[in-house]
Amino acid sequence: MQGHLPPGISIVKSENFEEWQMDIKVLDANPLYQNEIYRLKFTFGSKYPIEPPEVQFIEIPRSSETPRPIPIHPHIYSNGIICLDLLSSAGWSPVQTVESVCMSIQSMLTANTRNERPPGDSDFVSYNRRRPRDINFFYDDDNV
Amino acid sequence: MKVTIKEWNAVASWRWDMPEDEVCGICRVQFDGTCPTCKFPGDDCSLLLGKCGHSFHMHCLLTWIQQESSKGLCPMCRQKFEWKQGEA
Repeated sequence: MQGHLPPGISIVKSENFEEWQMDIKVLDANPLYQNEIYRLKFTFGSKYPIEPPEVQFIEIPRSSETPRPIPIHPHIYSNGIICLDLLSSAGWSPVQTVESVCMSIQSMLTANTRNERPPGDSDFVSYNRRRPRDINFFYDDDNV
Repeated sequence: MKVTIKEWNAVASWRWDMPEDEVCGICRVQFDGTCPTCKFPGDDCSLLLGKCGHSFHMHCLLTWIQQESSKGLCPMCRQKFEWKQGEA
């Protein structure tokens, strides 16, 4: 798979069918994401691909040799949880792949101009103990 | 036991009438192979052709369609999945 991945997307870890990690970067000149690489964690359940994988950003500290911050975006919480329709049970399709999900998230970053977190980010990050798939997001913003 | 095949005579072979390199969009296995739960390709693990033009292993598509969240839609184009009569 590594051989024919789209530009800006690479595999970091794929030893088993439970968890994969991918690095993505934004290819255009969007100043919000310049010179940064972001780490995505995919967790697959036994029903994948009939059910969606759990996908979120994970943070690796600045002091590390491979720092991976959580990208700023009005649909990405500072704990790495992503509010994206295609990752929910309602928006998922089993023909999606790790590659297509990475490309969707890449373009979600590329298209963004707002240097902000979702409303209620700090409360959500402190109180949320649910897994991303159990959260009922409202997909009320079609502009991002 | 180690067996070395020295010679063989094919009596018949078959394949689905589909482009050779095409895979099922759900399980990513070639159409001539099986869905992830079957062991033997053939009539017991057949293909479904949608009127929308998208095809899948029958078992892969049925598992999807049985999900409430699928709403009966084709995973590729999200039109209502209706299969064409007749085989591949």
